[in-house]
Amino acid sequence: MAMATSSSYPPPPPFYRLYKNFEQDPSSAPEPPPPIDGPFKALGVDYTGDVVIPSLESHNVRQLYPKGPNIDFKKELRTLNRELQLHILELADILVERPSQYARRVEDITLIFKNLHHLLNSLRPHQARATLIHMLESQIQHRKEAIEDIKQ
Amino acid sequence: MDIITQLQDQLDEMAMLAVNTFGTLQRDVPTDRLSNSYSDPLNSNPKPEDDSKPQVQGQPGAPPPPPPTAQVQAQAQPPAYNLSEQPKAMSHALVLAAKKFDALVAALPLSSEEDQVKRIQELQAENEVVGLELQKQLEAAERELKQVEVLFNEATDNCINFKKLD
Repeated sequence: MAMATSSSYPPPPPFYRLYKNFEQDPSSAPEPPPPIDGPFKALGVDYTGDVVIPSLESHNVRQLYPKGPNIDFKKELRTLNRELQLHILELADILVERPSQYARRVEDITLIFKNLHHLLNSLRPHQARATLIHMLESQIQHRKEAIEDIKQ
Repeated sequence: MDIITQLQDQLDEMAMLAVNTFGTLQRDVPTDRLSNSYSDPLNSNPKPEDDSKPQVQGQPGAPPPPPPTAQVQAQAQPPAYNLSEQPKAMSHALVLAAKKFDALVAALPLSSEEDQVKRIQELQAENEVVGLELQKQLEAAERELKQVEVLFNEATDNCINFKKLD
């Protein structure tokens, strides 16, 4: 039993009419829109065009690993891991001896976790480039195989 | 699943283990005795049948009392196994998680940004070259196909004409 007072959805955007003859003549339909340069607004939210990971300072979080252009990720991750274990042990000790002073230790542990996550996030652009390299390599491989197949 | 996501999940798991360890300890630890003038919270049941009572008082980590009075005792007394084995098991899990994190970090295939950008440019150039060659081969193959088609049509036409003369 359909409700008589149901809300109606907005109609689909009218662009579909432009693609009426797409199968017979693909050039009669409009080209896809070009990529946008600079800041834009989407669903009421402002976005900037660049993909930059915000630094920890922009979130008011102290950065524990050394700054610089080339960070040795493996070493820093391992160091921070050791620090984390040490702080957890210290928290256990503090809870036994001076339980009212837990807050500082918990803050330190939170800080270490934030730094660790930020380091892992900064590895993502590297991963994106590695994925691109892998895709290019497999594309070259496929093209070479196709050439071999045609030659035979 | 890619290694960075695994690392992130491992971090989350370490956080969860740490929180669970402390939470379980806080929940399960037996209450402390503030002073001798207050009753012992561990065993506030003043029944005269317990000759195992002195064993129970003041020793929260003690093994459970002998079987005959075990049932009455065990209800008033928190399970002792929690206090010695559970923290060990939980801290063991925490250390294992930390070791797994280290192993994952060691398995990270890292290289510098310049190396990656150079490699991408090399691969792009190679891709273009291979693409051009592929296109040439395709065109040659299409030409050959057209020639074969034309010859085939000629041959079939000749066959049909030959038949008609008969």
